[in-house]
Amino acid sequence: MPVLRGAVTFSRFRVEPTKEAPSDIKRWLQRGLKAHAFEPIDRKSEDDRAAGFVELENADAVDFAVSRLFYGEYALFSFRIDTLKVPAPAMKQELAKWTTQFEAENDRPPSRGEKTQAKGQIKQMLRNRATPRTSVLDVSWNQTTQQLQIWAASRKVVEEIVIALENALGLKLVGLTPAAIAQLSGIDEGALGPTAELIGMDLPATGEVAHVEA
Amino acid sequence: MSKREQARIEAAFARGDVGVDGGATEEKQDEAEVEKGKAREALLRGRAYLGREFLTWMLWRSESGDALVEYEKSGVNVLFMGRVTLRGVAGDVTEMNAKGTLAPYSTQVKHALDRGLLVAQARVRFTHAEKEYEATLDSEFLDVRAAKLPALMSEEEDDQLTERLFLTEQLSAMVDALVRDFLTIRASKTWSKQVVPAMKEWMRGDEQGADALSKAARARGREARAARN
Repeated sequence: MPVLRGAVTFSRFRVEPTKEAPSDIKRWLQRGLKAHAFEPIDRKSEDDRAAGFVELENADAVDFAVSRLFYGEYALFSFRIDTLKVPAPAMKQELAKWTTQFEAENDRPPSRGEKTQAKGQIKQMLRNRATPRTSVLDVSWNQTTQQLQIWAASRKVVEEIVIALENALGLKLVGLTPAAIAQLSGIDEGALGPTAELIGMDLPATGEVAHVEA
Repeated sequence: MSKREQARIEAAFARGDVGVDGGATEEKQDEAEVEKGKAREALLRGRAYLGREFLTWMLWRSESGDALVEYEKSGVNVLFMGRVTLRGVAGDVTEMNAKGTLAPYSTQVKHALDRGLLVAQARVRFTHAEKEYEATLDSEFLDVRAAKLPALMSEEEDDQLTERLFLTEQLSAMVDALVRDFLTIRASKTWSKQVVPAMKEWMRGDEQGADALSKAARARGREARAARN
């Protein structure tokens, strides 16, 4: 839980006001997070990844009681990502073991179909044994200043959390990049083309490629 | 020609990979051009060049040791330290890393900046009143990485959490204040008429130019403070 201790690494966002502001923010936030709460991977399914919101101080809790969600002017919660991976060497080893046993019992190598069936069973067995890899990333949202911080180093994960937040709460998050700050400050975009003298060549401002919509 | 070879050629023609003369329909792109194209796209994506120009401007401004901006009635001093990553699109080098305590202010880095590279990532120390913060800033998103915050004063765990969050917000707000100051200058006529030429002189090692502009910047700061008061 980086918000509480450890490395201070975060991405910065501003929460844009929604058209229909909820009257009871606490209940609205609780409901939104609960609706997109973390659910563990179903080992019987084919899923090898699960992600969703959890409480800050307990990555297994998804109640989001007000006392555990709000800390003064901040709303604090986490985003949990579990991944379940069957290690390839273990899979290979188990399959080799099964093949040897099959050949000893049947005096012939297994057919392609038999091998595929065995592969599926071995994969399921190893899935049941494997421990999911868990990462928990914190989100701090100052309800007064509407600044939101996602405490993660990977940009890919940050973007996943942005999408999850926007879907869960119907928010619009604006990354605090220089271009966004210029827009928020009302600075004319026309005056912000690339500086040829610094870049070493002329680049058209119109050649801009927008950030991938989060 | 074997049947297999004939079939391979016909299949390549059917796919459109080769023409009737057997030559490739599309010229294979030069590796260096592909790399430059990617660097150019990264520079323009979401106006990422603004972030690089901001960090480069901040590096230039910080060398004088003066406060760069005023935040909550105290000046914010900035010092680049340790590793600095430069990126560019103009020359053959698209990325360059410089390590060393004084590397950001070194002649080698300034020379690289003069050749069209810009600061893309840097380790920066911010001093505000009696507090010191350190963080690695990335130019594209202005993400804060591996930040060091001032020592916490609170003893209770809950208070420590609030203080830690307060300090991270202070750090974030200082970055925003610096960006706003940069953008104001960046959007003004001063940028191309005075600031960019002075930055170029500084990159080329012309101390006089840097000093002159540093004085001008200080004078502007004094004027702005006087206007506010």
